[in-house]
Amino acid sequence: MNTTQILNPTRPIWPGFSSSKSLCGDANCMEQLLLHCAKAIESNDATLAQQIIWVLNNLASPDGDSTQRLASSFLRALISRAASKSPAFAFLSLAATASVSQKMLHRFSVIELAEFVDLTPWHRFGFIAANAAILDAVEGYSSVHIVDLRLTHCMQIPTLIDSMANKLHKQPPPLLKLTVIASDAESHPPPLLGISYEELGSKLVNFATTRNIAMEFRIISSSYSDGLSSLIEQLRIDPFVFNEALVVNCHMMLHYIPDETLTSNPLRSVFLKELRDLNPTIVTVIDEDSDFTSTNFISRLRSLYNYMWIPYDTADMFLTRGSEHRQWYEADISWKIDNVVAKEGAERVERLEPKSRWLERMREAKFAGVGFGDTAGTEVKTMLEEHATGWGMKKDVEDDDDVERFVLTWKGHSVVFASAWAPINGVADLI
Amino acid sequence: MPVDLDNSSTVSGDASVSSTGNQNQTPKSVGKKKRNLPGMPDPDAEVIALSPKTLMATNRFVCEICNKGFQRDQNLQLHRRGHNLPWKLRQRSSKEVRKKVYVCPVSGCVHHDPSRALGDLTGIKKHFCRKHGEKKFKCEKCSKKYAVQSDWKAHAKICGTKEYKCDCGTLFSRRDSFITHRAFCDALAEESAKNHTQSKKLYPENVKRKNPEFEHKSPPVVESSPSLPPSSPPSVALAPAPAISVESEPVKIISSSVLPIQNSPESPENNNHPEVIIEEASRTIGFNVSSSDLSNDHSKYAGLFVSSTASPSLYASSTASPSLFAPSSSLEPISLRLSTNPSLFGPTIQDPPHFLTPLPPQPAMSATALLQKAAQMGSTGSGGSLLRGLGIVSTTSSSMELSNHDALSLAPGLGLGLPCSSGGSGSGLKELMMGNSSVFGPKQTTLDFLGLGRAVGNGGNTGGGLSALLTSIGGGGGIDLFGSGEFSGKDIGRSS
Repeated sequence: MNTTQILNPTRPIWPGFSSSKSLCGDANCMEQLLLHCAKAIESNDATLAQQIIWVLNNLASPDGDSTQRLASSFLRALISRAASKSPAFAFLSLAATASVSQKMLHRFSVIELAEFVDLTPWHRFGFIAANAAILDAVEGYSSVHIVDLRLTHCMQIPTLIDSMANKLHKQPPPLLKLTVIASDAESHPPPLLGISYEELGSKLVNFATTRNIAMEFRIISSSYSDGLSSLIEQLRIDPFVFNEALVVNCHMMLHYIPDETLTSNPLRSVFLKELRDLNPTIVTVIDEDSDFTSTNFISRLRSLYNYMWIPYDTADMFLTRGSEHRQWYEADISWKIDNVVAKEGAERVERLEPKSRWLERMREAKFAGVGFGDTAGTEVKTMLEEHATGWGMKKDVEDDDDVERFVLTWKGHSVVFASAWAPINGVADLI
Repeated sequence: MPVDLDNSSTVSGDASVSSTGNQNQTPKSVGKKKRNLPGMPDPDAEVIALSPKTLMATNRFVCEICNKGFQRDQNLQLHRRGHNLPWKLRQRSSKEVRKKVYVCPVSGCVHHDPSRALGDLTGIKKHFCRKHGEKKFKCEKCSKKYAVQSDWKAHAKICGTKEYKCDCGTLFSRRDSFITHRAFCDALAEESAKNHTQSKKLYPENVKRKNPEFEHKSPPVVESSPSLPPSSPPSVALAPAPAISVESEPVKIISSSVLPIQNSPESPENNNHPEVIIEEASRTIGFNVSSSDLSNDHSKYAGLFVSSTASPSLYASSTASPSLFAPSSSLEPISLRLSTNPSLFGPTIQDPPHFLTPLPPQPAMSATALLQKAAQMGSTGSGGSLLRGLGIVSTTSSSMELSNHDALSLAPGLGLGLPCSSGGSGSGLKELMMGNSSVFGPKQTTLDFLGLGRAVGNGGNTGGGLSALLTSIGGGGGIDLFGSGEFSGKDIGRSS
């Protein structure tokens, strides 16, 4: 076997390596290699690690097909992890410096970002579902206060404003208040916004005005690492406004609140409970459906691999090679991979939890699920049709509460889930 | 059966080629589908690997009696009924069907690996065609090529049918991407009164008609068209589009403000305007706006405006009644100018002093209607807001957003709220305006967003440098064990 020529013959022969041809174009094989490499790193076995890295380096390439690019990101992240882990891997430090750093991420202008979020349904799916739920919930209120916790910098809001303007044209449209969190640019996960939030807000207000909706915009500085405590504080002291709906939209950001694997303080649950105490009208929770919280590095890597192949695969479908969009897109994914693989402790912010766990948390915090409705489903499907085929949506009904939740799928594999919640009010249980 | 089962194995575990190992029946719970881990199909499912020929064969189901082929199993069943088989032979084998998942026959493909198999035969067929097949179908309109006919048809349906065009020229096929873009697009700031159909009709020559689709949507946001000022007053008065663009400036609150209505139909002289405006303002709004104050301010502005109609740009703390907004131009003859944060408006095209060109008088709105509107506004909004709103946003920062396309129609109604670079006049009003900022507003300090801050940082150029580094680790790629040639082989159909 070819592999034995490079490697010490006493090394285990990986299964499936029957011939060099089928060797490593194969995704599974890449995965095995990466896992072996990870194990070598974890056990400080520099020699083996070096060998595997060498192999991987030949196989993976940032310009190859989706598997190769995926492996390439992983490799980079692994190298970075190794280099910072122990002096045994000092030989990797040169390569490690090339790993994706915050500075290398593209800073999007608003228009670019608007375009970017629509490249795939990844975000738009959540937007549509959440907007539908929000609109249903806020009907009849004269004032709507949206707390937008979102990765994509308020990109959902224009369509929300538009729908509000259209659907509520019979009555005077409500006053719209938007609260966002000031993100610390240094540590904010991609995509990064190139303009300040103030500017963003003013554009939104302008737009709202053009649709006859009066709007206010405010920025609160708060940090995910402490469970958004200052946000909660601020919301608590907000003056009560009659007939105002409080909407909390959590889109891909809740997982940045540290979970129990990082701190013993159950910040996520605490945040959700405090949210519940504010008696919001509706809370939407949209996030990526995977589990990156395992403390065991190897299993974390495995989950990561089994999830991250999706964005690379979709990129292959629609983003032309070498295009800027693809570069940015993949840089963002690489950042995430790097974060999960190479970072530890407080730096590792991508602590995704699977849908089932989030649902549990919401229930523990005394929220009851709210369905999305058929129009939302149709809208999502229509939207998906305009993207590469391969995207799909399934409606999941959980055993406990019979509420449909939407899950975006790529080739049948779950990608993003969307759910809507309202507080359980004493006796009147489910809505 | 013509189906070749090249390789049938279970999905779980390593991708070793083995015969169907586990005969565990897939534990299908009644009613609920077993959820698989993301990224991994059901581990107990049977993996079917078909050869390309078989995969693409159209008639996989064959009647054993007459050897006729069918595309679907149901069709075959229907056909078999026609043979009048005795009951026994009619029964299908009752063994429980194992869930089948399919792999792509092309080695090296992501879906070639059993752990990435797809559960749907049609899915794998389509995948195979799309990724590895030849693209035989081409859309005539945009020359996009497709390998799967249904993809091609689906595309042809939407290609060119729905098109939304933003003012800046970008085309969108989907409404939501269009809306999202438009909300942030600079061009929004430059829109003339799309709502003002009246003005458009009347003063077509000056209207920069950006996009007929949006007429009903956008009210004349603030726009100023520098080009107007030079024109003579009468024609200026005829200037169509409303919007006075307010220049950017430190506003604490970003909120929408309502601009009062345009002035009366006739085109007043410059001098008359201030008074007219003021009067109307006080009349319609019923606030105690001292005419003197207004006139002072206004006179300052008057000089700025070629024509007299000055549409106030107000920074109200968003309590403006929606009724003042002119949603559909066709419906509301009054052109309302909403001034919003000036920072939104497009790049400053002219020097600050030029500011606003007058908006054309809106002929349709009668005084009574104006009054009604004002009453509505007054009732829905908080009391002071309008007054505040009337306050001019005087900006300390200098730039005025002017767009040279659209004529500004300065609403003579309340002749305030002009962005004016000279700080002095507006300051008092600014206090007024700012005074009530209950809500937090961003402080506008920069005007940069104008260019929409084209990416400040460099785009990710992670790719090139890294690969170079990596190759250097790998010893310069001297020994190419696996041969890059191998990979290129995999790239069948991956181009583009």
